Amino acid sequence: MNLRFIDWIWRVRGTLPLAPAQTGDEAFARLDPLFRQNGTTRKRTGSAMTFSKKDPAAQDKMSVFDGGVLTVEEGATGPVLRYDLVSRALLFCFLAPFMFLAFAQVTIAIGKWQKPSAEAAKTAEARKKEEEKKDVEVPMNPIDKFLGAPEPEKPKKDEKDKDEEGDRKKPSPTAAYVFAGIFSALYLIGRVLEDRLIKRLFRKSLLGS
Amino acid sequence: MDGIRVGKRVIGTQGPVTIGWENIPRVQGGPVKQFIFTWFQPTMLFALILFWYYAPNSIATASTAIGIHIGFHALLLGLEWVNPRFDSWRLTWKELVTDLFYVSLGYTVLRMVDNYIGSDVMVGAIQHLFHWENFKWFIGLPLLVQAFLISFIFDFGQYWMHRGMHNWYPLWLPHSVHHYITQLNINKGAVGNPVELFLIGLGIGGFFDFLPRAFLLAGAISGAIGVYQHINVRFNSPRWWRFLFNTTEHHSLHHSQDYEATRSNYAGAYIFIDRIFGTCVDGEAEHLGLEGGRRMSIREQMTYPFTEGWKMIKAKFARPAAAVPAE
Repeated sequence: MNLRFIDWIWRVRGTLPLAPAQTGDEAFARLDPLFRQNGTTRKRTGSAMTFSKKDPAAQDKMSVFDGGVLTVEEGATGPVLRYDLVSRALLFCFLAPFMFLAFAQVTIAIGKWQKPSAEAAKTAEARKKEEEKKDVEVPMNPIDKFLGAPEPEKPKKDEKDKDEEGDRKKPSPTAAYVFAGIFSALYLIGRVLEDRLIKRLFRKSLLGS
Repeated sequence: MDGIRVGKRVIGTQGPVTIGWENIPRVQGGPVKQFIFTWFQPTMLFALILFWYYAPNSIATASTAIGIHIGFHALLLGLEWVNPRFDSWRLTWKELVTDLFYVSLGYTVLRMVDNYIGSDVMVGAIQHLFHWENFKWFIGLPLLVQAFLISFIFDFGQYWMHRGMHNWYPLWLPHSVHHYITQLNINKGAVGNPVELFLIGLGIGGFFDFLPRAFLLAGAISGAIGVYQHINVRFNSPRWWRFLFNTTEHHSLHHSQDYEATRSNYAGAYIFIDRIFGTCVDGEAEHLGLEGGRRMSIREQMTYPFTEGWKMIKAKFARPAAAVPAE
């Protein structure tokens, strides 16, 4: 399969015109500080520069990218900087929703598998505990009574709640679905945002402003 | 770097730190901003206490607690945007994605594992221990005293567990991953190896199924104090607050690149526990992390304790070099 059809998921590409009368050497010199970071290695061969990053700090302005190639080429209206950057973070964020959908399915499957055994356990143990608790009084400190705190629930009511809680405790896939949604949104935001941010960063560096 | 003498220790020889409250910058801006960022923390604490004290039984539930937790974190994310402590700690897209990945593990996989391995066992044990009849004297105490005692006992345990993690290599391995973060943000508390997160979740998750009001109050108090450990917001915390409670300042020092500074401020909520045991250092740090600020990838964070543990075991049981025969 030709990866070019799908590699936009984790690759960010673009071109930027150089400043008037700026040479390739000058352009790379201006971009150089961006690559003088911990864990970054770079190599210049002619009009191209390749770089790779290993465990960049959060403060590295290009930390979202793991490597890439920058070339200075002759465009229609003059020299341009062409960049092609790879981001594992973007790929990870793209795949994360699928992972959470899988978690949701696992949660549902476990819930189905566990149901019979949970009911069996309830009949034996829970009933015994319920009987034990029937005559218990829950004390409330006079200070709390005076200050008007709600009276504590009687254990009898607790039993009811417990049954409800037992039902609620059944594994729910909701959280996994919510996070699948969150990571989908984050991917869309990141794909657009990081594209713009890197363009702005390169432009600022090239123009020296 | 010369470092600064704090008690018997010299702090800041390996990484830049600021020691002493008088040297820590204050909130910049007009009187309204100053007021908000001075009184925000105590106001939220007291508001949460009042809520959990007076909320009707139908509202005082674990699901309400989770709702408030999420809403409060969203609000704090907003504050990070408005009034960051350090620009170098600004939340980036990549940091947010990474942090949320760990938060999501807590809500999905770890919760599931806790439910099946941790909580049920814990609940059984604790329910047995906390049998109404045995603990009538405790339940008869004023609610706030119960809540404080629960949160204090829990934090006291966390203090020693955390201190143990920094002093015993097998415990350090799962915890070390959390120390590779290079900035503090509101969700950074969730970043760490699942083994450590599971161990912490075991303690908290176990209580969540049969919560009397005192436990909800205790959780709210610990949460409303401990949440500021990992946050990129500059506060003028009142003097009494920072004397009693853990703050971003304390915890940033704990995460600094200076080894000696990391061996301080272990408590989760009550920094006075550190003061009692002589491990409290008042100050802050901007440059965080291990190995000069190498930010670990998620993949390495997942495997590091096991690979390093394997290396340790191999080194320990390696065949010693052939002995030199006696002459």
